[in-house]
Amino acid sequence: MAETATVARTDGQRSGDLVIRVDQVHKYFRTPSDEAIGALQDISLDVPYGEFVTVVGPSGCGKSTLLKLVAGFFAPSSGRILYQGEEVRGLNTKVGYVPQESKLFPWLTVEENVGFGLDSKRYSRQDRERQVSQFISLAGLAGFEKYYPSQLSGGMSKRASIVRALAYEPPVILMDEPFGPLDAQTRMVLQDELLKIWEQKRQTIVFVTHDLVEAVALADRVVVMTHRPGKIKDIINVPMARPRNIFEIHRQEGFNDAYGRLWNIFRHELNIGAH
Amino acid sequence: MSNDTTPERAQTAHTDRAAAAPLAKAALSTRSLGVTIVRVAIIGGFFLLWEIASGRWIEPFLISSPSRIFTSLISGFREGDLLQHTWVTFEEIAIGFPVGAISGIALGYAFGRSRVLAEIFEPIIVALNGIPRTAVAPLFIVWLGIGLWSKVGVVFLLTFFLNFFNTYTGMRQMDQEYVDLASLMGVKGWKLTFKVIFPAISPYVFTGIRTSIPFAVIGAIVGEFVAATEGVGFFIRMSAGIFKTADVFVGIIVLMIMVIIMDKIAEMIERRALRWQTQTEHVRIQG
Repeated sequence: MAETATVARTDGQRSGDLVIRVDQVHKYFRTPSDEAIGALQDISLDVPYGEFVTVVGPSGCGKSTLLKLVAGFFAPSSGRILYQGEEVRGLNTKVGYVPQESKLFPWLTVEENVGFGLDSKRYSRQDRERQVSQFISLAGLAGFEKYYPSQLSGGMSKRASIVRALAYEPPVILMDEPFGPLDAQTRMVLQDELLKIWEQKRQTIVFVTHDLVEAVALADRVVVMTHRPGKIKDIINVPMARPRNIFEIHRQEGFNDAYGRLWNIFRHELNIGAH
Repeated sequence: MSNDTTPERAQTAHTDRAAAAPLAKAALSTRSLGVTIVRVAIIGGFFLLWEIASGRWIEPFLISSPSRIFTSLISGFREGDLLQHTWVTFEEIAIGFPVGAISGIALGYAFGRSRVLAEIFEPIIVALNGIPRTAVAPLFIVWLGIGLWSKVGVVFLLTFFLNFFNTYTGMRQMDQEYVDLASLMGVKGWKLTFKVIFPAISPYVFTGIRTSIPFAVIGAIVGEFVAATEGVGFFIRMSAGIFKTADVFVGIIVLMIMVIIMDKIAEMIERRALRWQTQTEHVRIQG
């Protein structure tokens, strides 16, 4: 985090300032039979600019719900969510969102998908084209500009989906298990690429995953959540140096320590789940 | 990150497909030739049997014959007023069909957007849909006279509901996440409608348009059957009345060609608009 403090934000914010503040948030859902199901319980979390936060927890613990609350897809049952100091009401159009499945717009080409969020008022045509081609090559998709999503492999769609969220440069990117359905090898390649992009852009990323290695490997901080209703069990700092080598992450100093701490918490959590 | 450690790119289906293409193409052309031969044989055989049967086994005024129909078709367009009848029917469809399709699509879209609207009007629309629509044709004659507009009305009615129901179904089946993502990217208003929602439901919209084409023609003909002074429907009814069976078939052929041309045009537009879809062929079930 020491080096991020010196990175000047394009939009004038210093890192260290909070971009997201989740303040005592509870969330209940109503079932069709009108029972209330607790999804999140008393969640409080502060995320400063430029931080890479991962949220890890067993499936059904409300990790995705937390992301969707920050994105403003729905409102918390109680508590509040502040984004850049203002309470989130309705869709939060200042965040980028990468869903579980790629969800590229199938009727648009790769190029059109990546450029989709570039508002014509904010970007001139030239800027727009430059931005699109920059992000397409960043994603290693040069040459595939005119392809439709149905013509891409799973890994390629995923990359396109990620740069679609990055291209219009929202200060925060929310990622909901983006690498979940991929095979181990592709996954590693994409984690590596994501970190490389992030090193350049230093946007704030909140990344939800159920994979402990992934959670540690990518993050500055790991938020550990419990079974439903999801509570924050602990937050672990990962003081590993950057840039990191994803392919040999196990050998990197600090990994074993952070992973060990995370696993200890999880082991406990699993015992509870077994009852 | 444009490094070359991207193993899955080599695995794209395209390389396999490219290698297999010439082989598949050869197999396909042999196959399609066979299909064409069988098809031509069936159609040719049918017409031959018809020609032979006519006059020998069955009275010609009942079934006419291919050669008689062909002669009538030519003379109908050359000397008679068949062209005029065709034009009148075409006009009825050319007005009623697009108006019916567009208003059906628009209302289906509106119902999909507005829950309140859907809740209020859905039972009413379903009830109206329960009316056998051709039964309303005489009413249209009463209201709009025996000229062009009564037929336009019937065409409209038949086109409208099919387009409405298909579009509305599309709206309800649509993946909410596309709209959410687009909205999150700051897209709203007309751009959301035309860049996201309509493309997302376009397969349904095109199904509506294409299934309604034959019904639009049915609408025009029913209208002309009820009361008219011109049009292909009028021509058919009149010819049947004086046992000019060949002319009845001529009318039917004209209508068939009309439907085929409209469907081909719609298919071309659909293909262009939906070129992003993977073309799925027949489902193969093995074992």
